[in-house]
Amino acid sequence: MIEVRGLRVVLPPDTVAVDGVGLLVNAGEFVVILGRSGAGKTTFLRALNRLVEPTAGTIRVAGRAVTGAGRGELREARRRIAVIFQQFNLVRRASVQENVLAGRLGYVRALPSVLGRFPPDDRALALECLAQVGLAHLAERRADTLSGGEQQRVAIARALAQSPDVILADEPTASLDPQLTSSIMDILRRINVERRLTLVVSQHQLETALAYATRIVGFRRGRVGFDGPPSALSPAVIAAIYGDGDAT
Amino acid sequence: MRRAVLFVGLLALGWAAWDTGADPVRLARGLPFILDFLWRTIPPDLRVLPSALAGALTTVEIALLGTAVAAVLALPLGFVTARNVAPAPFFYPARTVLNFFRSVDTLVYALVFVAAVGLGPFPGVLAVVAYTTTSLAKLYGEAIEGIEPGPVDAITATGATRLQILRFGVLPQVLPLFLSYILYRLETNIRAATVLGFVGAGGIGFYLQTYLRMIDYPAASTVLLVTVAMVMLVDGVSSRLRDRLV
Repeated sequence: MIEVRGLRVVLPPDTVAVDGVGLLVNAGEFVVILGRSGAGKTTFLRALNRLVEPTAGTIRVAGRAVTGAGRGELREARRRIAVIFQQFNLVRRASVQENVLAGRLGYVRALPSVLGRFPPDDRALALECLAQVGLAHLAERRADTLSGGEQQRVAIARALAQSPDVILADEPTASLDPQLTSSIMDILRRINVERRLTLVVSQHQLETALAYATRIVGFRRGRVGFDGPPSALSPAVIAAIYGDGDAT
Repeated sequence: MRRAVLFVGLLALGWAAWDTGADPVRLARGLPFILDFLWRTIPPDLRVLPSALAGALTTVEIALLGTAVAAVLALPLGFVTARNVAPAPFFYPARTVLNFFRSVDTLVYALVFVAAVGLGPFPGVLAVVAYTTTSLAKLYGEAIEGIEPGPVDAITATGATRLQILRFGVLPQVLPLFLSYILYRLETNIRAATVLGFVGAGGIGFYLQTYLRMIDYPAASTVLLVTVAMVMLVDGVSSRLRDRLV
């Protein structure tokens, strides 16, 4: 489902954030990317749909080339790769419903959408996605009047509205109260199980990663330091991922 | 270093005072004339009230129409001058051109447009449009540069086109600011438009200048009072609207 080969991302001016990562993710996997902050998790995820431009390497998602894609091809690839952000990234002043409807932008005709006109089918789908995260009753509310946990659920609904093949989530619970972590992660697991959607979720919390992942990829200094099932994650490996030492 | 700056600053101010002939004694000698002028303006001559009101209405119209047209014209320019959304080849030339045109004041534009299209309120409208377009474009551009990148990332990630990203990721963030800037510009344009009549570009300034030239101070004072009332009224309405926006 996701094929990453030799990915290298250098952020200006000269920070090597991702340093030669290869990763194959199969359909239906729930991959948690584990690592300390600054290990390159966010940059890796952002490179997968080219929100940051890779310096070298190739990326294919759901059979489409992401690297080397032209503008139109990139948009087509992006609409099947939904992203959930740490800071939710909703449009604050827009209604909840409009935020979810934004997930359809890659599918609808550009000009009518800019004038605020969406096909009824897309509107219905957006409401359906909102219902799936249990927030149909808040459709008319302005996004910034919701709590953090609710906003993140709206963001998940927006992701679902994209009818994606893959969902990337960058520390989706890091900005929330700890007790909300499981509610968000439970929704993601349900999506993974019921829709057979492929998920790649970055986490810095070990317990959460162990509880939800079918596979764990440990990042350290922009490289993959561990790749395997949660059961194979030994204390030594954990120490290597989180440790301060220079050993790689 | 700081002392040197202070010294140079004081030197410049001293020079400016000498060069402009700034003289407190001269001001003091002039005071009686100012008092005499004020004395002669009362009571205001209310017979000219209808023409003063008509002039005020024209001034408001010039400012309203000019600001509205400029608010629309400045939109594409605002996006082109924002570093975070405009492609670099557009950005630098657009900034330079706008800075050039913005350094010309409304009154100077009025002189040009009066020469081009003749006397009356229309060249006044054009002058307001010319100045306000460039100044709003700058304010728009700065507002766009100040947006949160997060929602833009999110909209980009949906596979949206560039236009959709602007409409759904950028515009909702800047629209309240834009409206507030437009109202602010309307307030300053009312003030600017009061003197447009001096150069033949219509509005209440024409009456003020005419009565002053005729040394009809009571009539001039009526016009002045109407001007003050008009400016305060527009300011009041506009600032109340702006408060609601933020």
